[in-house]
Amino acid sequence: MATAMGIPQRNLMADHDISTDEPVLRLDRVGLSYGPDSEVLADVSLALQPGSMTFLTGPSGAGKSTLLRLAYLSLRPTAGRVSVFGQDTSRLRRNDLAALRRRIGVVFQEFRLLDHLSAYENVALPLRIMGRPEGSYRKDVADLLDWVGLGDRLEARPATLSGGEKQRVAIARAVVGKPDLLIADEPTGNVDEDMAERLFRLFRELNRRVRTTVLIATHDMALVRRARADVLRLAQGMVVKVNLPEPRGENT
Amino acid sequence: MSRTASLLPREDAREGALFFVVCALCFLAAFSGLVSRAAYAAAGAWTSEVSGELTIRVRGSDADAQRAAGIIGTVSGVASAHVLTRAESEELLRPWLGATGLPESLQLPRLIAVNATIDAGEAIAASLKASGINVIIDDHAAWSSDARRATDTIGLIALSAVLLLGATGVAVIAFATHATLLARRDIVELLHLSGAKDDFIAGVFERRFLMLGVQAGALGALLAFGAAAFILFAIRQSDGQAWLLPQLSLSLADGLILGLAPLVAGAAAMLAANVTVRRALSGMV
Repeated sequence: MATAMGIPQRNLMADHDISTDEPVLRLDRVGLSYGPDSEVLADVSLALQPGSMTFLTGPSGAGKSTLLRLAYLSLRPTAGRVSVFGQDTSRLRRNDLAALRRRIGVVFQEFRLLDHLSAYENVALPLRIMGRPEGSYRKDVADLLDWVGLGDRLEARPATLSGGEKQRVAIARAVVGKPDLLIADEPTGNVDEDMAERLFRLFRELNRRVRTTVLIATHDMALVRRARADVLRLAQGMVVKVNLPEPRGENT
Repeated sequence: MSRTASLLPREDAREGALFFVVCALCFLAAFSGLVSRAAYAAAGAWTSEVSGELTIRVRGSDADAQRAAGIIGTVSGVASAHVLTRAESEELLRPWLGATGLPESLQLPRLIAVNATIDAGEAIAASLKASGINVIIDDHAAWSSDARRATDTIGLIALSAVLLLGATGVAVIAFATHATLLARRDIVELLHLSGAKDDFIAGVFERRFLMLGVQAGALGALLAFGAAAFILFAIRQSDGQAWLLPQLSLSLADGLILGLAPLVAGAAAMLAANVTVRRALSGMV
């Protein structure tokens, strides 16, 4: 279980000085286009409250990945404003943006694992960037890999891992630093239903115990229905909130 | 077992090519530097060997020559004055007239070899003139001036080659480093998106390319040293005569040239890595 990976309950506000009223992620009338005829996002506004869990759905090509890139500060909008942890990202200096990114865990759709590093080293990467000594995280990383079913593949290079295994390594890397905001782009796209459920429980555990705010882009509507989380739908460059019917017989 | 592996992959083919380029450029630059310094050293050796030496030809009898030597010996600044024997004069002529011996009947010029301070020539000429001895004084000024001019030109050309090679080396190292780093853009981007500061990312690449530059530069300098040592050996084997060169040896200045080459190569590679990474990062949010 996720508790085995040692996720401590903690006071998020005390750690990072976020006002309880301030959304963790806020997009105000955000637009993004790559030219006059290539508008990806038209007028997107949304706000994720601290400790919330939100799914982002929509048809392929709707701009979900682009919206996530705005959220994890890989892109700047061509219109509107993106605020993360209450800070307008357009006004921040580079080093301040780097500090914000260290509080965001990202599961990239294409995994982005470093081929020359082992599964263990890939997962530990965010902690190395934070400057933590290896002795302080060795057990946590090993436990986390064990939790995602890769306890016996610590030294495996990405080239020897299957697509599903790579995805689990990518997820473990995103959550290992217990981020304040977790952004995942199709995180269960390459794993079977059981593993998808298991990974989702990991996200839920982080969300409940650490109060990590979670934003997941997915096509897996079955997972969305089971999750009882906020659902946003992105279509034609705009975001709308979706009210799904309560799942029957669920007890989460 | 430590699991904190380098954030960059081990050397691959691209870095192998960069290593070769840096090594070759450092060899050429260091070797040119050694040639340049040797040219200046040769010029200094040639001219110092003849400066202060005067050759005086006496137009007169052997007695006039002996008298002239005596007068010269009294002039201030003269260390020694020696009338060359016939055997010594024949030795001087041997390169032109051969070693078969000269006919006894052949009159040879009466020469006095004088060691004196450089400015003693005029005083010697005045003393001999006052004594009524007709002489021609050769202070080798024209020859040493020509030699100095020739070696200065060689040295200048070699120095220009060093500077040109150095500048080309820095540019090529920068270009090759840039090309190598383009292939590693994925790592730059991942570190950036994971919250690494620009200094951290640049530092990762700087360290790798500094080591590459220093190691390749050291090998290039070592090869240049080997080439220079071989040439010195060849000169010494020929006793320095066939090469018309004075005896040369590797000096502290040569050590400085050889020591600087890898440091400059390492600094160039590190700087290029820094600029390239920061340029790549500047294109990211």
